[in-house]
Amino acid sequence: MNITKMIKLQKGIIESLSRIEKEFRKRLMDLGVYEGADVILLNVLSGGNLYLIEVDDIEICLRKEDASLIEVTI
Amino acid sequence: MIYLLAGNPNVGKSTFFNGMTQSHVHVGNYSGVTVEKRVHHIKNYPGANLVDLPGTYNVSPNSQDEGVVTYSLLNESYKGLINIIDSTHLKRNLHLSIQLLELGTPTLMVFNLKDALINNGYIIDTKKVEQFLNVNAISVSARERNKDDQDLVVERLKELTPHKALKLDYPAAVEKGIRDIHDLLRHDIFQVKKKWIALQLLEGNEGIYQYLDLHKEEDIRRIVENVEKEVLKENIALSLKGAIFNTRRAFIEEIIEECLIQVEEKEHSKYFNQKVDRFITHPVYGIPLFMAIMFSIYQISFGRFLGLGNALTGYFELFWDNILVNYTAQLFEAIGLSGFMYGLVINGILAGIGGVLVFLPQIVVLFTLIAILEGTGYMARVAIMMDRFLSKFGFNGKSIVPIITGFGCTVPAIMATRTIADKRERILTILTIPFISCSARLPIYGLIVSKIFDSYQGLIIFGIYLLGIFVTLFSAKLLNLTYFKGEGSKFLLEVPPYRMPQIRTVLYQSLEKAKRFVKKAGTFILIGSMILWILANNGFDGFNVNPDESFLALIAGGIKFIFAPLGFGTWEATSSLISGFLAKEVVASSLEILFAGDIAGAFTISSGLAYVVFASLYIPCISTVATIKAETQSTKWTLFSVIYPFFVAYILAGTVYLILHVGFGL
Repeated sequence: MNITKMIKLQKGIIESLSRIEKEFRKRLMDLGVYEGADVILLNVLSGGNLYLIEVDDIEICLRKEDASLIEVTI
Repeated sequence: MIYLLAGNPNVGKSTFFNGMTQSHVHVGNYSGVTVEKRVHHIKNYPGANLVDLPGTYNVSPNSQDEGVVTYSLLNESYKGLINIIDSTHLKRNLHLSIQLLELGTPTLMVFNLKDALINNGYIIDTKKVEQFLNVNAISVSARERNKDDQDLVVERLKELTPHKALKLDYPAAVEKGIRDIHDLLRHDIFQVKKKWIALQLLEGNEGIYQYLDLHKEEDIRRIVENVEKEVLKENIALSLKGAIFNTRRAFIEEIIEECLIQVEEKEHSKYFNQKVDRFITHPVYGIPLFMAIMFSIYQISFGRFLGLGNALTGYFELFWDNILVNYTAQLFEAIGLSGFMYGLVINGILAGIGGVLVFLPQIVVLFTLIAILEGTGYMARVAIMMDRFLSKFGFNGKSIVPIITGFGCTVPAIMATRTIADKRERILTILTIPFISCSARLPIYGLIVSKIFDSYQGLIIFGIYLLGIFVTLFSAKLLNLTYFKGEGSKFLLEVPPYRMPQIRTVLYQSLEKAKRFVKKAGTFILIGSMILWILANNGFDGFNVNPDESFLALIAGGIKFIFAPLGFGTWEATSSLISGFLAKEVVASSLEILFAGDIAGAFTISSGLAYVVFASLYIPCISTVATIKAETQSTKWTLFSVIYPFFVAYILAGTVYLILHVGFGL
């Protein structure tokens, strides 16, 4: 299960970021995206190419290919 | 005395900075507005200076602008830190705060956006924060510029005292790593605590290696590697950075538990945002909506219909020509001044400056409208919408901020590329941004378009802007296919909430633009006009020669044949382009002087439009070229940035002339 499989406004917990390459993982963690965090899929934008997620209290927008690498459990 | 201002991006550092120092640096509701540090003295606190640092999530840098923060902490001398925190995003903001508090430097925590937090139904108990973290803390709303708040900040700064460095309990493996690195550094002298440096090195802060001359770099890297292995072996986290991050996060939850107090149950406005966002970034409606908004802005600034800017410029032109120039001329005649001085002032300086300055009202209208748009948070949505589109041309998602800045002035736009971490993408953005039409080129468009067209001026000027954007994209694609091959890097954008733009901020921002514009008129354009008029009226036969035998005609006449295929091969048009290298406005002031105001007679529709296209795209101005050299550190790319635009401009202007002149006989 990854973020792109979530239903809009569904809540989940980030299980793993290990499929994401190191540099980008660092940037995600700087923004507050970490394993064990609560995540909500807020919106799918730009015709399904971008995923807007809320982690803790921040809203972040990422591309589909990156969002599909973030493993979550519902 | 210096205080450093640090905090995450888009938390209102620049707004706070402006309030405390009564200056007007640019602010906007998106990340990456500040890319270099700025210094200004604090009002009501003699002898104290405030340094506004670029926003960063972490002390360890991801890009060049973030590196400024590490560098300043390590090498600058300062009395204390001011950490600005977005109270509505504590979980993320406090990661940076912890790293700053671990330094043990006197620190004032400023919890900003108090009003937004109260709207969400919460308050921060700053007294508890002070006890819990052993630090100074206050809570404010920087955008209200409340005088009591500002006085409180100054008061608290004055009594800022050193506190003990914050000490968290990191996993044993990390603590051991800190001790080992600390041992290696025992003979070195730094202005910050060695334990802090050790922890930053373990976290992977490459900036430390870069800014401190560590002799034992190899040994240190080996320790970092070993600790990382240990962390993985003991299953503490998935990486060393993760282990440190988790410890901090657990501590942050404790702080929030203690200090964030809910006072009221409020429903989140977030779900309203979602519907608006879906519409604004919609794959079908999004781009037309953006274009419609931008077109309305240009129509209001330059068009006839709804033409606020156009009307104001008309009044200003009347005032300039009928009153200022007219009465100065009469005064000169009355005191018997004629010949050289009369010509220099009336036909040189006043004509040249007037030719540019009359567009001031239009520029103020344009930038007021753009500042309103920036304040709302719409630009971040534009970045979202444009991401897929821009990435096809090899741009980074973050390129959108420099591109938007480029409509104001190319120089800060090139500096704004510092937020782009990937070097190739950064250079690609730097090289293509000069094609975006900056505000200095507006007088050229205004002057020519308003004289050779009776209607559709707003549409035509909007079209020239679109052409600039098109050439930017095309050139990026060309570079992307040839030299800068490779995948676009990742897109990751924090989406700011919609905010109501503040009238004061909007006014200050357009006032700043106006001030810079007038200042340029008083310097570059003044000097350019004087030199140009003198060269145009003196020749080998002395003063007041037939203009066609002036020095200027001789110089420009030698190369004017180059422009003959474009329809404007006259020495007047040619020398205006040459002098435009000083600053783009000078093209307009020179045309005004050399054609003595008769622009309509000097160009046809086809040659006029070809001239506008050429002037819009050719060689960047001297300040831009200097900035490109400084930012790319490369002679090769600087030369490219001068030569390539010339050819692009030549080909496109030639095409325009050919189509209109030969095709339509205009």
